[in-house]
Amino acid sequence: MPYPLRRAAAALLVIFGAITLVFLVLYWLPGDAATLVAGENATAETVADTRARLGTDRPLWVQYGSYLGGLAHGDLGISFGTNEPVAARIRAQLPATLELTGFACLVAVVAGVVFGVVSAVNQGGWVDHGIQAAMLFFTSMPSFWLGILLIMVFSVTLQWLPAIGSGSLVQLVLPVACLGLAASGKLARMVRNSVLDVLEEPFVTTLRGNGLRESQVLYTHVLRNALIPVVTLLGILVGELMSGAAVTETVFARQGLGRLLVESLGVKDVPMVQGVILVVSILYVIVNLLVDLSYSLIDRRIQAAA
Amino acid sequence: MTTRRQFTALFAGTVLASSTTRAKAAAPRPGGELVFGLDGAAVVKFVLDPHNSGFAPHNRVFRSIFDSLVVLLPDQSLGPWLAASWEISPDQRAYTFRLRPGITFHDGTKLDAAAVKTNLDRIKNPANALVALPDIGPYAGTDVLDATTLRINLTEPFAPLLRNLSKTTLGIVSPAALAKYGDTIGQNPIGSGPFRFVSLSQGTEIRLARNPDYQWSPPNAAHAGPAYLDLLTFKNVPEEATRVAALRSKQVHAADTIPPQNIVSLKADSEFRVLQKELLNHNYTLHLNVARAPWDDNDIRKAVQLSLDIDTIVKVIYLGTQPRAWSALSPSIFASSQKELTGSWKPDSKKAAVTLDRKGWVAGHDGIREKDGKRLTVSFIDTQGNREKRLDVIQLARRQLARNGIELVIDSEPAGAYIRKATDNEYDLAAGSQFAPDPDVLRRLYLPDGRDAASVSKLNDPEISQWLRDATREGDAERRAELYRKVERKLIEKAYAIPVYVLLYTIAHAADVNGITIDTHGFPEFHSAWLGA
Repeated sequence: MPYPLRRAAAALLVIFGAITLVFLVLYWLPGDAATLVAGENATAETVADTRARLGTDRPLWVQYGSYLGGLAHGDLGISFGTNEPVAARIRAQLPATLELTGFACLVAVVAGVVFGVVSAVNQGGWVDHGIQAAMLFFTSMPSFWLGILLIMVFSVTLQWLPAIGSGSLVQLVLPVACLGLAASGKLARMVRNSVLDVLEEPFVTTLRGNGLRESQVLYTHVLRNALIPVVTLLGILVGELMSGAAVTETVFARQGLGRLLVESLGVKDVPMVQGVILVVSILYVIVNLLVDLSYSLIDRRIQAAA
Repeated sequence: MTTRRQFTALFAGTVLASSTTRAKAAAPRPGGELVFGLDGAAVVKFVLDPHNSGFAPHNRVFRSIFDSLVVLLPDQSLGPWLAASWEISPDQRAYTFRLRPGITFHDGTKLDAAAVKTNLDRIKNPANALVALPDIGPYAGTDVLDATTLRINLTEPFAPLLRNLSKTTLGIVSPAALAKYGDTIGQNPIGSGPFRFVSLSQGTEIRLARNPDYQWSPPNAAHAGPAYLDLLTFKNVPEEATRVAALRSKQVHAADTIPPQNIVSLKADSEFRVLQKELLNHNYTLHLNVARAPWDDNDIRKAVQLSLDIDTIVKVIYLGTQPRAWSALSPSIFASSQKELTGSWKPDSKKAAVTLDRKGWVAGHDGIREKDGKRLTVSFIDTQGNREKRLDVIQLARRQLARNGIELVIDSEPAGAYIRKATDNEYDLAAGSQFAPDPDVLRRLYLPDGRDAASVSKLNDPEISQWLRDATREGDAERRAELYRKVERKLIEKAYAIPVYVLLYTIAHAADVNGITIDTHGFPEFHSAWLGA
């Protein structure tokens, strides 16, 4: 099978696996969705009616089959909680999450690479120590606490940036900084280590021996090689950013899939949870596909090997 | 106009600070948008169906969109609102209301006798299983006598009815909207209130606009006619530190449920004003599960009660911003025994220890008491998190109980699992509050057939049940109050209930915002609010 097809098949398998797993977990999770939907004043009869309406009285495999059937027609179902189409709700929440995680990813990469390289080049100096300390701070700080600190400084004291809401670019600055900086710590350490490793390699000595300027050695040759492990980490990071978004969204009172998922899980809103998981796993698969493709862009030898 | 507003504030009694003093000279300035930072908790789903949400944050929005038949006055009596007058039949089974003529919903349809009937019938329909169902008790049906006259019929006397009709949960919804939106009415609310619904962003924002036709505010309102504000926007800011930050940085004009430490500092800040008023409430109360051993034993429950120092807990956590609760009913509710029960018991851990020793619960290897190999563990079940600092309360209680060899563990569950465990009695301790203007709320917790299966109280005390049933039918206010007082007394005596704090609902707002008020129930009103230049 050609490489792209093989990749696509694997991606489908991952998505299928994710929704199947979540379906099973939700099914076996304690609590009855119908009791929650029918409300606390519902009689046993009303709860039974609700169960029939939601279809949760059917055997597991029938429920699963009908969910997949709907999915094949592009139908994500109706939310148990608000009776609105899941697809509409996700469409409304998705842009806020994409903005947040997309820009946070950008901040993480730019900050991570810049700080990592600067740190490696100044290995052992005070700049290196300073950057390492700052990165440790961002990595170990719980994101809700970092968020509140940013709000205190930039929103309350300096009054430069809004603390709450979603929609405009200026409202994105603080949450993106909060999520992105927290993620940049890991990247910077990875970049630093891998730049230092590559600098030790014989080809670097050869390049220097050939009379290349140090900046050319560093930015054209060393960085390119050092980026491979960083790009791998990036694929994993996107997943982390998505889950971190739930906390960031709450602190900054934003819309988004993170909060939607957490709340829908709490009330066993199966169609909504499934819908969000589906979207998130598709995004995750796409990002990792891009990561794989970018290897060959960074290093031509990888394509040959594949 | 100003004098009347001051008059209202004066009679509200519990209003501690108010923007009205500053508004003395200035005339209200119409227009503008007021942005309110609402503590909506981490809930993504807005249910703006007044009949179907017992969640206090949603009810804080309802008052702006929906009106009620009658209004609860500061002295706990009832005044006319949508209903201009009413009569109660001598057998107390028929209530005849005469509506004000000319009232319209935001969709232009008429709010008449038939519309009220549609609302009440909707609530009564068991298939709908709405939160407001217990509010109308033994409702039998409504006769529409003419366009503006209706008669509510009951199968038996139901004394709480009139006060319940003043609740946000019995706000009147447009029947045309109910027919049009069906199950999604909670996302498309249409009432007759001073503001009409414009749009919402699920979980983050609710946008309302002035209802220009509004001429039917209750007679005790600060002004008659439409609201001053053009737009009223509620932003859900669940994180308390962010909510206060948004207020301090002027991104919202006002915010609610301010944390205790910030109440203290905002009160001292000349740029802000703080409003506080008691929420008519069944106070936040701890309930040991009497349906499960060993908590069915009076002496053991009493020992737990005596091991707790509620005064200290309330002082440490709320820093004097919320009073301690002594009775189940908050102080301003008709028949509350707060005064009578103040000081009715004192923590006494020695006495508690003696009782536990005598009952055979003796300290094990790690200091936790044991009996027949079973540890004296109290499993506290929770699904709401640290709203109003409630988990902090439980944490302090945990430390106090541990000193006496009682172990408290916190079992945090998602809503679904919580309801199952609470229904199946798989817990030792549960706690909660319930807002209500009438002592009838006691029936919804302590009468076995008056509460839902997942209720925080599992009490089944025949004497209390009888008092509650009698009180529901009792037409004489004083005799009715006495029955409720007996219930409240016994709840404490037998340690069936351990009340913790009285919630004063708190709003902080910028100094140039005027006229935000808190109604007698303890919910915010924006009808007379206006923005300074």
